[in-house]
Amino acid sequence: MSMAIAHYQSEFERLGALLPWQGSSQWQLWRQEGLAHFAAQGFPSTRQEEWKYTSLTALEKLALSCAPGDSAPPVWESLEGHVLLPRARHRLVFVDGVFQPALSRLESLPPGVRVRPLSAVPAQDSAPLQAQLQAIRSRTPFTALNAAFMTEGVWVSASPGACLDEPMMVLYVTTGGGRAHHLVNAYDLGAGACLTVVEQYLGLAQDPYFVNQVTGVQLAAGAQLTHLKLQQEGARSYHIGALQAVQQGDSRLESHAFALSGAFGRNDLETALHEPGAAVVMNGLYRVNGREFQDFHTCIRHESPDCTSDEYFKGVLDGSGRAVFNGKIVVAQDAQHTASRQSNHNLLLSDQAEVDTKPQLEIFADDVKCSHGATVGQLDEDQWFYLRSRGLESDHARALLIEAFALELLSGIGDTGLRAAMDQLLRGRSHG
Amino acid sequence: MLIIKDLHASVGDKPILKGINLTVKAGEVHAIMGPNGSGKSTLSNVLAGRENVTVTSGSIDYLGHDLLALEVEERAREGVFLAFQYPVEIPGVGNVYLLKAALNAQRKHRGLPELDAMDFLALVKDKMKLMEMSESMLYRAVNEGFSGGEKKRNEILQMAVLEPRLAILDETDSGLDIDALKVVANGVNSLRHPERSMILVTHYQRLLDYIKPDYVHVLAGGRIVRSGGPELAHELEKQGYAWVGDGQSGQEVSSGS
Ligand SMILES: Nc1ncnc2c1ncn2[C@@H]1O[C@H](COP(=O)(O)OP(=O)(O)OP(=O)(O)O)[C@@H](O)[C@H]1O
Ligand SMILES: [Mg+2]
Repeated sequence: MSMAIAHYQSEFERLGALLPWQGSSQWQLWRQEGLAHFAAQGFPSTRQEEWKYTSLTALEKLALSCAPGDSAPPVWESLEGHVLLPRARHRLVFVDGVFQPALSRLESLPPGVRVRPLSAVPAQDSAPLQAQLQAIRSRTPFTALNAAFMTEGVWVSASPGACLDEPMMVLYVTTGGGRAHHLVNAYDLGAGACLTVVEQYLGLAQDPYFVNQVTGVQLAAGAQLTHLKLQQEGARSYHIGALQAVQQGDSRLESHAFALSGAFGRNDLETALHEPGAAVVMNGLYRVNGREFQDFHTCIRHESPDCTSDEYFKGVLDGSGRAVFNGKIVVAQDAQHTASRQSNHNLLLSDQAEVDTKPQLEIFADDVKCSHGATVGQLDEDQWFYLRSRGLESDHARALLIEAFALELLSGIGDTGLRAAMDQLLRGRSHG
Repeated sequence: MLIIKDLHASVGDKPILKGINLTVKAGEVHAIMGPNGSGKSTLSNVLAGRENVTVTSGSIDYLGHDLLALEVEERAREGVFLAFQYPVEIPGVGNVYLLKAALNAQRKHRGLPELDAMDFLALVKDKMKLMEMSESMLYRAVNEGFSGGEKKRNEILQMAVLEPRLAILDETDSGLDIDALKVVANGVNSLRHPERSMILVTHYQRLLDYIKPDYVHVLAGGRIVRSGGPELAHELEKQGYAWVGDGQSGQEVSSGS
C-alpha cells in the first residue's frame, strides 16, 4: 500500500469522530465507503488514460492534515479587494475550511430558497443532502476522498419556482499551507427554480495546500442554474474539483470555469442531459504561466432527445505552463436531435508552454448535429503590429491582445453584473 | 523630413525593394502609384517598421534620425503614421480605448500630460464629425465588423487624432464610394500643414483630384521608375504602366525635389 493511502487512512482514524454527522450511521457508512474506494484505487497514475498528462506524484508525497485550519480569519477589509462580487447581498465565506459567520451575510432570502453552510445542517436534516450526493455518478479517487473527509461547504435548495434574483457568492479562502480541504457544494433546484452562484477559490497561502472540492447539481424540470467557478489559488497549491450535474427536462445549466492561477489544477466537469429539452452551456478559461498546470476534463452526456450543449474553452499558455483539455461528448442512441457544439482555442505565448487538447465524441444516435474544433495558435502578428504602429508599448499591446482573447468568453455569461465583474478582473486594470 | 537612400528590402529571401530613392520635404504631398505587387505596401511597411520586411541595404533619415534604428512604437510616437491598406480587425480591444492609449502614449513621449476622459472625448467627437462617422463606432472593437469604407475612415480618424508629422496612406481610397472618398479626402486635406508631410499610395487619379500632390512617383519592380508633377498621374490614367517600364531596365530617375 502506498504511503499516501496509509497517510489518509491514519488521518481518518485521527479525525473520523470529529467529522460532521458522525453520529449518523448512514454518514459513517458513507465516509467509510469513500475511504475504502479511495484506498482501493489510490492516486491515479499517468498510465491511466484520464490522467495521462497529469502527474500527481508531488501531491502524493505531501502529508497534509485533513483537519480544518485554526488560525484567526482575516478581516473583511483585507479580503474585499479580492472578491469577485464584494457587494453581493448573499455570501458565505469559508477560511481554511471553516465557515465564518462574521464575514458572511445572507440577507432576506426569498421564500423557498434555503442556503446553509454544511456546519449549520443538523444530522437529522442531512439525509436529503446525502441523497443528492449519492446521485453523483462518476467516482474518482478524489470524489471518494472527498466523501470520506468532507467537512464544510454550502447547500442551497430552492423549492419549485423559487428564484434568487441576484448572484450569490461562495468564497473559499486558504490562508495557510499544510492542509487538505475537502469541500462540498450542493445546488438542488426544484422545477422552474433559478439561481446564480459564484464559487471563488482564493489562495493567499504561499505554502503547499490542497483543495479537493465536489459540486453536485440537481436541476428539476425548467430549473436554471448559472454557476461560475473562479480559481485563483496559491503559488504552490493543488486544486482538484469536480462538478457533476443532472438535468431534467428543459432545465438550463450555464457553467463558467475560470482557472486563473495555481500551481496545479484539475477539474472534471460533467453533466447529464437526462430529459428532453435540457440545455447546457459549458465554458471555461485556463491560464498558465511559470510552471503552472491546469487540466480540464469535461463530459456532456446527451441521454435524451432534443437537448443542446454548447461548450467553449479557451487557454492562455505562457512561460513553461502546461494545460490539458479533454472534452468528451456522449450522445446516447435515442438522443435524437441533439445539437452539440464544442470548441477549444489556445493561445501559446512561449516556446516552453504546452497544451494537449482532445475532443472525444462518442455518438450513438444518427440524427444529430455535432461540431467540434480545436486550435493552438500564437499571438496575431498583424494585430500586434497594428497596435504598436499606433504608439502602444509592445508589452501593452501584447497584454491587450491576450486580454481580448480571454474576454471573448465572457459574452456567454448571461448575468450582466457578473459579466462586468469578470471583465474587470480579466482586464486587471480599469479602462478609460 | 524624409530621405530614403538606395533602399533595398526583402521579405523572406525575396528582394522586393531594389534601390528606392525618395526625398520628402516638410509640408509636401507625394503620391506613389504603380502596378500591383510592385512594392508600394512593402515600402509603407518599412517606414512603419514592420519586422517581417528586412532592410538589406540603404538608409532612411527621418527628421535627422535614423528611422530604421527606431522600434515600431517609437516611430509612431515620433510622428510616423501608416494608414493601412487592409486595417486589421481586433475583437476585444475597444476603438475608443486604442485611440486614447495611442494619443496618451504619444503625449507622454513628448512630455505632455495625459488627456483626461472628458477632454479626450471632446477631441475625438470633434474629429469624428469631420470624418462623418457615427459616435457608436467609438464603442465598437477596433475595425470589427466595419465595412471596407468604415475601416478606411477609421484610419483617417486615428490620423486626425494623432496628428502625425509623416503620414503614409496606403490605398486609403480603394473601396470607398464617391461620397466617402470626398469625406476622407476632406479629412486628409484638413490635416495638410506646412510641418506635415504625406505619402499617398494610390491606383487612381480620382483621389489626386481631391488631394493635390506636389509630386507623383511611379514604383515598379521595386524601384521608382518615374517621377513628376500631378500631370504624371493623368498620363498614367490614360496609358497604364506599360510605357514606364518594369523597373528592371535599370533606368534611374531622380525623385521629386
Ligand atoms: N509576407 C510576404 N510573403 C511573401 N511575399 C510577400 C509578402 N509581402 C509581400 N510580398 C510580395 O512582395 C511584392 C510586393 O508586395 P506589395 O504588397 O508591397 O505590393 P503593392 O505594390 O502594395 O501591391 P498592391 O497594389 O496590390 O497593393 C508582391 O510580389 C508580394 O507578393
Ligand atoms: Mg499594397
